[in-house]
Amino acid sequence: MSAKPHLQSLIFEVTQRCNHTCLHCYNVWQGEPSSTPIYYPHGELDTTQTLHLLAKALEETDCHHVTLTGGEPLLRADLSILLDFLRERNVQSTIISNGRLLNKQTAISLIDHGVALFELPLLSHQREIHDRLSAAPGAWDSVLAAMTRIRLHHGQVITAFVATRVNIGHLYETIKLAFAFGARAIMFNRFNPGGRGRTYLHELLPSIEQVREALTVAESASVEFGIPISCSIPIQPCLIDTSTFPHLGFGYCAAGSERAYYTLDPLGNVRPCNHSTTILGNLFEESFGNLVSSEKLKGFVNAFPAKCKVCKQRATCQGGCKAAGQVCYGSLDAIEPFLRQEQYVRL
Amino acid sequence: MSLTRREFMKLFGVSVASMLLTRCSGFAPATPEQTCYAPIAPTDLPPTLSSTPAMERLRLNWLRFGELSQKTIAGENSDNALGQQMTADHRAALDELVALGELSASVADLIQESYGAAVYHVWRSNAPITCYEPRIVDYAPSSADVLVKQSEVLNQIAAQGTIDPATLAGAQSALEHDLAFYDLSDEEVKALYDRLIRESQVGGQPIPSFEALELELTPEAKDAAHFILDLLTGK
Repeated sequence: MSAKPHLQSLIFEVTQRCNHTCLHCYNVWQGEPSSTPIYYPHGELDTTQTLHLLAKALEETDCHHVTLTGGEPLLRADLSILLDFLRERNVQSTIISNGRLLNKQTAISLIDHGVALFELPLLSHQREIHDRLSAAPGAWDSVLAAMTRIRLHHGQVITAFVATRVNIGHLYETIKLAFAFGARAIMFNRFNPGGRGRTYLHELLPSIEQVREALTVAESASVEFGIPISCSIPIQPCLIDTSTFPHLGFGYCAAGSERAYYTLDPLGNVRPCNHSTTILGNLFEESFGNLVSSEKLKGFVNAFPAKCKVCKQRATCQGGCKAAGQVCYGSLDAIEPFLRQEQYVRL
Repeated sequence: MSLTRREFMKLFGVSVASMLLTRCSGFAPATPEQTCYAPIAPTDLPPTLSSTPAMERLRLNWLRFGELSQKTIAGENSDNALGQQMTADHRAALDELVALGELSASVADLIQESYGAAVYHVWRSNAPITCYEPRIVDYAPSSADVLVKQSEVLNQIAAQGTIDPATLAGAQSALEHDLAFYDLSDEEVKALYDRLIRESQVGGQPIPSFEALELELTPEAKDAAHFILDLLTGK
């Protein structure tokens, strides 16, 4: 490889440990064995090895932004060391956390260590719903307190609303709450089954009609509150006409492109995105350039459901989230759960 | 902190862009009045732009960050075509000044570096986000209008009595802090920025203070920085 791969961002799963057991969790190492049992390597490296891994990743790519996630990244005792390491290399950092451990001291420390943005979940304006989905009593109070602390110390927060059958009707009030607490943007992520979430697929997966109604709510709320709202999990245009929501951003699978969410796990395994169980290889054994030019990645990028072959929007939509098809039905070409509902709906 | 002159110029450009977007009254044309993040009608480049002197074209380009921000927020600039056009226009105007002997090529390169970083910063900070895309963030509260609305909504939520009183008090305190920012004069805002930058540096943040950097500046970088400031202040 001559040129280093340019990445807009690298996702680094610093730990697989977590202090919540969210029903909708998509972490690929989570979930009960089912009809499609998935084995994923467990563990994490010590500080020295982790810094070595991070250094190799940054050395072999043109990347100026790293998102630290998990699991719950704040469970790593050496997080500030990792952040310092990034800052010394002029690499911006974002932290995805559930907010539970973001007490005042930690919030100040992380901001001081260069965390430019925090992504926190806000699943409902109702305590009991947020706590139920997080399977963690006290989670709602913790995340609101965390948002406040971050803002007080000039940090920035965006909130993620994972839309499930349980909370999708709470979207407007939740956006309002996030706005009041200073969220700079909101991510409306329809539930995308994976990890533990596969166990609750039928309980949580919202219907197409529910998502359409929620998008209408999000559209007007974005205008009312002047807050950007983006839909990061693909919503297939054949199911819902996304062009009727001009104030919302819609994202599709970016695997293989500069915008890809290449994911580095705590052991050095590289994946095309954080929802996929596909391991391209281990960074300790191969260069990043080789991993992202591999046939394995090409196979991932080129996969789409057969039924989408004739669709004019295939190049953009790619059938939705192929990783969800993979983890739920065992194949990247499988029709992912949200699209499977199409048989019940006609535009 | 040791920075290359290119790194310095990038940071300088980003800082200028942030200042323009946050408190642009000092630099913006008298009419129409531009506010930081409140929606304003997009202002296209004047059709006669290509015929205006190169210096004025440069200045107009530096004043287009509001437009870039608004169009990006509105989803009309997802590929940053506008930013690329602005960068190309800026480069063309600089080349003209170099050809006229009004600017050295090396200083022009640094100015372009600064502008390019600023354009990228404004675009990236406002582009509709996806899950993990980077957003370069600095301390710039939302517009005063947004803060006032936040205050109203927060009061409504507070009245429901569902949120922990300590958390609520913290949220109100943070909001008041941001609102106070908008009551400051231009000079006070500048002083605040200076203080924040100093504090950031002490805390090890990667944003250096201008004063600290000036000690390490090359004459070319200093010339480029002064050129941009003079351009924007009309000196």
